Amino acid sequence: MKASLNWLRELLPELGRLGPEDVAKKLTGAGLEVEGIHEYGAGTEVCLVAEVTAIRPHPTKSGLRLVTVNLGTTKQEIVCGAPNVPDPGGLVVLAPLGAHLPAKNMTIARREIAGVVSEGMLCSESELGLSEESEGILILPAGIGKPGELLTKAVPNVHDVVFEIGLTPNRPDGLGHLGLARDLAAVLGVRFSAAGSAPFGTTDIPFDVTITVDAPTRCPEFSAAIVSGVNVASSPLSWRFRLSALGVRPISNIVDVTNLVLLGYGQPMHAFDIAKIRGRQIVVRQATEAEAFTTLDGVARKLSSDDLVVCDGEGPVALAGVMGGQNSEISDSTTDVLFECAYFEPRGVRRASRRHGLHTEASHRFERGTDPTALQGALAYAVALTQDVSKVRVSTPRYVSGTTTSTAPRSIPRVACKMRVAYMDRLLGFEVSLVDAGAILERLGCKVRPLDAGTLEVLVPPHRPDLTREIDLVEEVIRVRGIEAVPSVLPSVRGSREVGGREALERSVRKAAARVGLSEAITFRFTSQKTLTDVRAPEATVVLENPINEHQTVMRTSLLPGLLEAVGQARRRGVRSSALFALGPVFLASTGDLPEERPSFTALLSGDRAAFCAWLDKPAPVDAWDAKGIATALVESLTGLLPEVVSYEEAERPAHLHPRAAAKLVVGNRVVGAFGLLHPDVTDAFEIDEALPVVTLDLPVLAEHPRTVRYRAIPRFPSSPRDLAVVVHDDVAAGNVRDVILASAGALASEVELFDRFSGANIPKDHASLAFRVVYRSEERTLTDAEVEKAHARVVSEVEEKFGATLRK
Amino acid sequence: MTSSDKAQAAKEEIEAALDGFRATFVEAFANATTEQLLRDENAKILGKKGTLTAILKQMGALSPDARKAIGERVNALKNEVEAAFSARLAELVADKRKAELEARPFDLTLPGRRPGAMGHVHPISQVREDVIDIFRGLGFAVFDGPDVEHESNNFTKLGFPPDHPATDMQDSFWTKSKHVLRTHTSNVQIRAMTSVKPPMAFIAPGTVYRRDDDATHSPMFHQLEAFLIDENVSLANLKGILAEFAERMYGPGTPVRLRPSYFPFVEPGAEVDIGCVFCKQSDGARTGCAVCKHTGWIEILGCGMIHPVVFEHCGIDPEKWTGFALGMGLDRVAMLRYGIPNIKLLFENDPRFLAQF
Repeated sequence: MKASLNWLRELLPELGRLGPEDVAKKLTGAGLEVEGIHEYGAGTEVCLVAEVTAIRPHPTKSGLRLVTVNLGTTKQEIVCGAPNVPDPGGLVVLAPLGAHLPAKNMTIARREIAGVVSEGMLCSESELGLSEESEGILILPAGIGKPGELLTKAVPNVHDVVFEIGLTPNRPDGLGHLGLARDLAAVLGVRFSAAGSAPFGTTDIPFDVTITVDAPTRCPEFSAAIVSGVNVASSPLSWRFRLSALGVRPISNIVDVTNLVLLGYGQPMHAFDIAKIRGRQIVVRQATEAEAFTTLDGVARKLSSDDLVVCDGEGPVALAGVMGGQNSEISDSTTDVLFECAYFEPRGVRRASRRHGLHTEASHRFERGTDPTALQGALAYAVALTQDVSKVRVSTPRYVSGTTTSTAPRSIPRVACKMRVAYMDRLLGFEVSLVDAGAILERLGCKVRPLDAGTLEVLVPPHRPDLTREIDLVEEVIRVRGIEAVPSVLPSVRGSREVGGREALERSVRKAAARVGLSEAITFRFTSQKTLTDVRAPEATVVLENPINEHQTVMRTSLLPGLLEAVGQARRRGVRSSALFALGPVFLASTGDLPEERPSFTALLSGDRAAFCAWLDKPAPVDAWDAKGIATALVESLTGLLPEVVSYEEAERPAHLHPRAAAKLVVGNRVVGAFGLLHPDVTDAFEIDEALPVVTLDLPVLAEHPRTVRYRAIPRFPSSPRDLAVVVHDDVAAGNVRDVILASAGALASEVELFDRFSGANIPKDHASLAFRVVYRSEERTLTDAEVEKAHARVVSEVEEKFGATLRK
Repeated sequence: MTSSDKAQAAKEEIEAALDGFRATFVEAFANATTEQLLRDENAKILGKKGTLTAILKQMGALSPDARKAIGERVNALKNEVEAAFSARLAELVADKRKAELEARPFDLTLPGRRPGAMGHVHPISQVREDVIDIFRGLGFAVFDGPDVEHESNNFTKLGFPPDHPATDMQDSFWTKSKHVLRTHTSNVQIRAMTSVKPPMAFIAPGTVYRRDDDATHSPMFHQLEAFLIDENVSLANLKGILAEFAERMYGPGTPVRLRPSYFPFVEPGAEVDIGCVFCKQSDGARTGCAVCKHTGWIEILGCGMIHPVVFEHCGIDPEKWTGFALGMGLDRVAMLRYGIPNIKLLFENDPRFLAQF
């Protein structure tokens, strides 16, 4: 909502002593948040009304003229290029030397144009920031001001300050200047004399249009008045500038009247050309299904039976509360106008507005709830404005409520509610007296009556549909009293116990993952079924009814899509290496009403291994053993247990894994995760031509093995390491060799570790050299060389025998 | 020659040797340029086959008197050698240290060895953990809630009127099974109030969804809700918790400002600003900057007293229990903290972005 400071000051003269910033602070403090302050017509304050007294051509430049203007006491000659300079006697606007015009970011300086000195500029509307575009200079109507007079004095609204207010949907009263002024009055603590209740002026013609309301629940109040003998023309400058300042394009005096009522009262109204109202009758009814109607925006619409229409004798002339029709539009030839002003049921307007995708100034207000008692004031204001610009005859107004038609509005009972001061004070933690609370509510338009020493009976005003119960009144009191007045008191919190445990689980996994060098990616939880198919994930169970695009149509059943997209995008941006993990739920079918949101973890590696130090380590591409290292380190870090690594059998292998590199992680007979390389078909789908190592953890199963750490005695006796390098056929799995070493070394072997593997060079074809370090140690004594040698000799012979291995010396 | 003559001759010979020897070791030590050479020279004198040892072996031929005299002389000389050795050794050690210290400096422009390659926690997670820790420290506990939610928990029970523009504030994603992707973490209020008896103090961090996708909105983002319900929880208590949170999150003395606002499930409702942390001066004044749009204030959350209608929908007596709720956008908090200009960056997961946090 845009609000004009000039207008607010007209409605509430007490604002005159506050600057724009202060007014903005008051509005924001009252919950009418000012999000921006703009100056309209910036620079016009120094401009002058100038009377053209003579025009002569420029001596050398054909497009220019030299215009002599009268500024009251002085005369001045100005070089002007505009084609529309009025004849002598016409009034124009002069920006004098030094004037700064922010709209064009120019400052008027003494200029010499082809030998002629010009000390000022005759301005157009756009140069003055009064409208977006304008043709030629601004010509003022005769008699609007004296030559030399300040423009702002001669032309009201040529300069204004406009507040951009972010209104919350509970405050429809703030959608008109009257409501804003009323709230400001309450905050300032001054009485607000409701300018809205202006009585209807004298009337001189009969109201001769028949009005029938066939849908009284959708249209509880309907009113209209006729003005006859209208001269449709453009509006006076003060109206045009006011509308422009508020972002509304001036159209014609009659249309502008309806917009001024809208912006002033927050009450939408419509002007019909009576000549186009067939049968001189108005019917408000629900549309018939598929009824055709072309709205003012030129769109031919098919109506729903839930739509409310205002019709003439033959068919719809307006989609009620939303938009008028082309067929009854005001035109230059219009002479008789029917002003219509109604209260439409908010939810119905909202449904129609959404159904037709038509959000208008009118629907915006109706769906938030207008003031059903505002009709008379709005009609009277419309008629008065029309009379200001056109000599018209005015009919008596008509008010229709259901089957009742009257020349005066019916009285609508107010909602009553009680307010207990004790309840208010307890809720606020701050005392407001009964008297103060009552006074605040009265300033807001409530009628207040004390029931006893601690209770008020409050009749809420009709312009505040949001006030329906006690708590609403409490809010009003503290809003106007000022929320800053409430002290800060730290409560003593009676603590609760955690429910769910997902946060703690995710936090420990996140920490462990970062420690092993993985970075956390937060990826979208929606994806598409195609992408899920691409990563061979379970079919989506949560399908969106109204996705935002075709890539985000279902909730993920795998974390892979987001990670693969991140890796793919990074690679397209030239970042080949990454080590990412994603943590969060996947959405799976469940037996309950809602899906299972299963906490999940996936890590994906790409490119080169993060080098320990680039100038010391050669970069090398990541492989399946990076996945294994990360997988086992994570499980160990989370459970304190080293998982058993078991290669998948063909039948049970997860489909996203490569047949040649897929293993599960087992802790205590439970599979806690899996790792391997991504299946090449999966990477292909993301246009990644590299085998990507992947790790997945089943977090709920992992959570069954919370990390428990037990102290183990530190070895007291020295160890005796022995190295063992054997050449074996390269189809021998290193793990099997290790197992044999461990078994044959007996109880003395405390560690067996492969520290080197290589092939080529002098190693026979299809063979590999495996070098193990076996650490012998006893918990009870220092081992003798002889004992160690004996055990190690057994190891050597066993390995040679079992694997046909040759010992390398 | 008599034996005494012989003894005399031996004595003279030894004395001559001693005199000659004395001249040589000083020079030998001085010429030793390394510790090893020095020790070698020392061994040549005092070792088993050393010169001085050899001289001592000749002492048998001396008369007892001479032996005593020579013995004293030899001992004195031996002390002299040892002293000279120690002095020269100290000199060599000092020279070596000096040379070591004065040699060409290490090239510290070569890249350092990092202790392992640590990964990075996403900035949203970092912020979330910090906020959770602050509220846990104030007595609140985490209550989990689902992303896919019943309409009643997300809207109806929170007091969103049907067909009301308030629901425009949160344009929602719906599922084919007529569930909603939660538009806020406030659904957890309903879940807690319908499953736990008051009093209660919970926080609910979570992922939320709205059908907005433009320069400043992401269809998926993150919130954290905190709510306290007890017999006499007041707006003053809400302000107390907010002030405490602001100080713990943004530093001591961070001012808090409430502006009345509207959310259907709280009343009175407010938006909360904190004093801008970017243009704060040492004296606590704010000069205004681009981040706070020159206001000195930054909006960080929305809050209010839990609406009685919410209590009623959850079977809690609003005459007995009162409470407050507050909710903040973690994405925005992270963007402010790290100066991230665009919300989209948070979800692109560019490794170069993630590595900054």
